[in-house]
Amino acid sequence: MSAAEAISVIRVRNVLLVTMPGDPDDSTIAALQERALDAMSAEHVRGLVLDLSKVEILDSYFARTVAETAQMVGLMGGETIIAGMRPSVAITATELGVTLGRTRTVMTVDHALDLAGRELAKEKSRR
Amino acid sequence: MNIQDRGEVKIETEADIALARRAVREVAAKMGFGITETARIVTAVSELGRNVHKYAGSGVMRWCTLRNGENAGLELRFEDYGPGIDDVNEALREGYSTGGGLGMGLPGAKRLMDQLDIQSAPGHGTTVTVRKWRRL
Repeated sequence: MSAAEAISVIRVRNVLLVTMPGDPDDSTIAALQERALDAMSAEHVRGLVLDLSKVEILDSYFARTVAETAQMVGLMGGETIIAGMRPSVAITATELGVTLGRTRTVMTVDHALDLAGRELAKEKSRR
Repeated sequence: MNIQDRGEVKIETEADIALARRAVREVAAKMGFGITETARIVTAVSELGRNVHKYAGSGVMRWCTLRNGENAGLELRFEDYGPGIDDVNEALREGYSTGGGLGMGLPGAKRLMDQLDIQSAPGHGTTVTVRKWRRL
């Protein structure tokens, strides 16, 4: 399986659901950025839900890539929501000293999709 | 202190960092470390393994399990023959980096593990040894 194939990218309603594997190697992590940004522009979605529920560790390289990807998605006019971080991963990443910038985080992919749906409804009512 | 079991993983490519993580995850699980302790150990492996690859190009991670009275320990030794570290104390300082990284590898690994020791001299490579203990 190639690095890019290890990442699942599917369109759910108006967002892209990007699911990372449990223990991605560096080339898989590097592929995240390109896969996510390419799909953003091809699918005309308004944001990205990054599902980290399978992820077993978040080291400084992985965290930096996630933060950078969220920033790039922001530059393209989209929003990133990080979903499903495990308690052990949250504890360890904090002790290591990594942060994900100002990226929004929620407990589950369900929450993330609800949030994305609500924001779209808000936008429509404003028009 | 008795050495119970040992092994090694060569770190020559970026993919080897993932192999080192997997090997240590397996040993830690066998030793009975919990989920969060295992995540700490494996994260430290990732940071230290990446340092070997980034600064020295290649090296080796040697692991062994230790026994000290009522405590079981996991020792991980990262050896490389790279340029070495000029100032070990400086390298352990938060945010200090010569490699364009975030400078959290060494201080971060120190926080995640129970013990960290660095042997290094310019031109003679670097050996970083970390240990994690668990009460039996």
